[in-house]
Amino acid sequence: MSAIAAKPAGGAEMPKGPAAIAIVLLLVVVGIGYYMTMAGFFTMAIFYSLIGIIVGGMLVTFSVHLVPVGGAPAAMGQAPGIATGVTMLAAGAGLAGLFKGAWAAQFGYLPALGTGAIGGALLMALTCMFVNVTYVYGMGIPSASGKVRNDPITGDSQDEYKSQGTEGHGLPFISYVGGVLGGLIGGFGGTLIYISLYDAYVNGLPTLMGGTTESIMPIAVSVAGIFAIGMFLVNAVLTAYNITGTIEGPHDPKFKRFPRAIVASAVASALTGLLALMIIVPMPF
Amino acid sequence: MTVKVEASADAIPHNTLLIVGLIGSIVCIYLTYLNTITGLDVFSFFGGIGAIIALIWGTSTIKRLCSYGIGTGVPSAGMVAFGAGIIAMLVGTKFGIMSPVAALIIAAVSGAIFGYLADSVLNMKIPVLVQSLAELSIIGALTIMGFTAMATGDFTFGVLTAGTISIFGFAVPAAQASFVGGGITAVAFMLGGIAIQHPFNAALGPSNTQDRTLMLAAECGFLSMIMMAIISFAFISMGSALLGLLIAIIGWGYTYAQFIDLSKRDAADWLDAKMIVETED
Repeated sequence: MSAIAAKPAGGAEMPKGPAAIAIVLLLVVVGIGYYMTMAGFFTMAIFYSLIGIIVGGMLVTFSVHLVPVGGAPAAMGQAPGIATGVTMLAAGAGLAGLFKGAWAAQFGYLPALGTGAIGGALLMALTCMFVNVTYVYGMGIPSASGKVRNDPITGDSQDEYKSQGTEGHGLPFISYVGGVLGGLIGGFGGTLIYISLYDAYVNGLPTLMGGTTESIMPIAVSVAGIFAIGMFLVNAVLTAYNITGTIEGPHDPKFKRFPRAIVASAVASALTGLLALMIIVPMPF
Repeated sequence: MTVKVEASADAIPHNTLLIVGLIGSIVCIYLTYLNTITGLDVFSFFGGIGAIIALIWGTSTIKRLCSYGIGTGVPSAGMVAFGAGIIAMLVGTKFGIMSPVAALIIAAVSGAIFGYLADSVLNMKIPVLVQSLAELSIIGALTIMGFTAMATGDFTFGVLTAGTISIFGFAVPAAQASFVGGGITAVAFMLGGIAIQHPFNAALGPSNTQDRTLMLAAECGFLSMIMMAIISFAFISMGSALLGLLIAIIGWGYTYAQFIDLSKRDAADWLDAKMIVETED
């Protein structure tokens, strides 16, 4: 029964052929968006929204690589990281940021993006702190990394604290910093996706539905929110497939795999973003 | 190339479930269109049935995908299904009567692209990944559309975004009272997500059997359908919503009893634990 067993870790190199096809796909999708802008279906602002969604998706994907994910081994104290899956952690950090950012959306771009980033980072900081409280005071194990001999930031040695037969345990300092940075960037990216969509809908939906801006506001907010969640989950799961299992943080060898996930995420975000923006195009039905 | 390890041999082949699930779900969602033809809304419950058929098919797809060991846990497959599905479903609702078919095509194309990205660019190298992610996206889109059709009796963008509230007896159009504007899409999203993540995750392991897993999927689907039936009281007439609720409760009771029977059949032993007897001081 291998459904719960992790598959062996693959290399970090990016396959050249598929990456080229992915970049062509990205250019085609952005090209369709540009063509629709030129043909008058989209305004220029909506095209910029599409670019914002792509950048946001790429930031989300990069951020997920920084978060220390331990999975089931971490729950038994046999691997460092937070004891849950990549998707769940990414969704937690990103959505916390997104909701904070959505709350501040009325104050403009910069306050919303800043609030989103702080919201995501705050959630990760609290999660990491209580993970360590549980490990140290609940399970009685020290924090030690299994992937590096010395912590890259503090220089503390790790080997002496690592139990035999484990890959390390707890959250060492570098993993904590990685988690908070991941929350910061993920919250920023999630909010950027949301606010790009929100701007496009607030300007586009009144003409489509024939109402005032105030009357369509609930539609704009909820459609932008649900699309942002959908895109966030697609990006998080693609990243989870890239990491396959557990990652300790920015010092983990698996971290070097992030370029190929960013290529994949750019295509996925462009496609989902274009589809989401199609909502405001009138259809002849 | 990862090695495939079957959780259990299937009595019903996956392709049969695929065809039955696809056609059954689309037909059931289209049966809710009888509402528009007849002017009634008693046919709304067909949407929930369609969603359950899609969920059963989805459980089989997840089992097939996870037999390769994706390394990230079973729920991640459910999350990508619904993340891609909600986008395809909401864009699909723009196409009027063609909505379910449009959602299906959009979901299939975007799911296949996600599958290609995961399989080739991210080096997953799982033979069924492209097909599985395309299937899962369709399942996500059809499940959410089915639940939407059940709650509102319709599946077109115009109806889903239009709501009225009554102020001093006058009906005033208000978007926040609509299905989309009220944020009920998010509830439908999570109800479907829970129903697709749970069954295989709970039933995997030694002596996994297909009929027990699929019965659990139906049970989870009916449980979500009960919730949608309660939500539907806000959008459709009292009698129709009650009919939907009744069907959901009867379906849930039947599938739950069946699931317990199948669990007893597959269990090594079944001991009926009694309540802990409280002792008087």
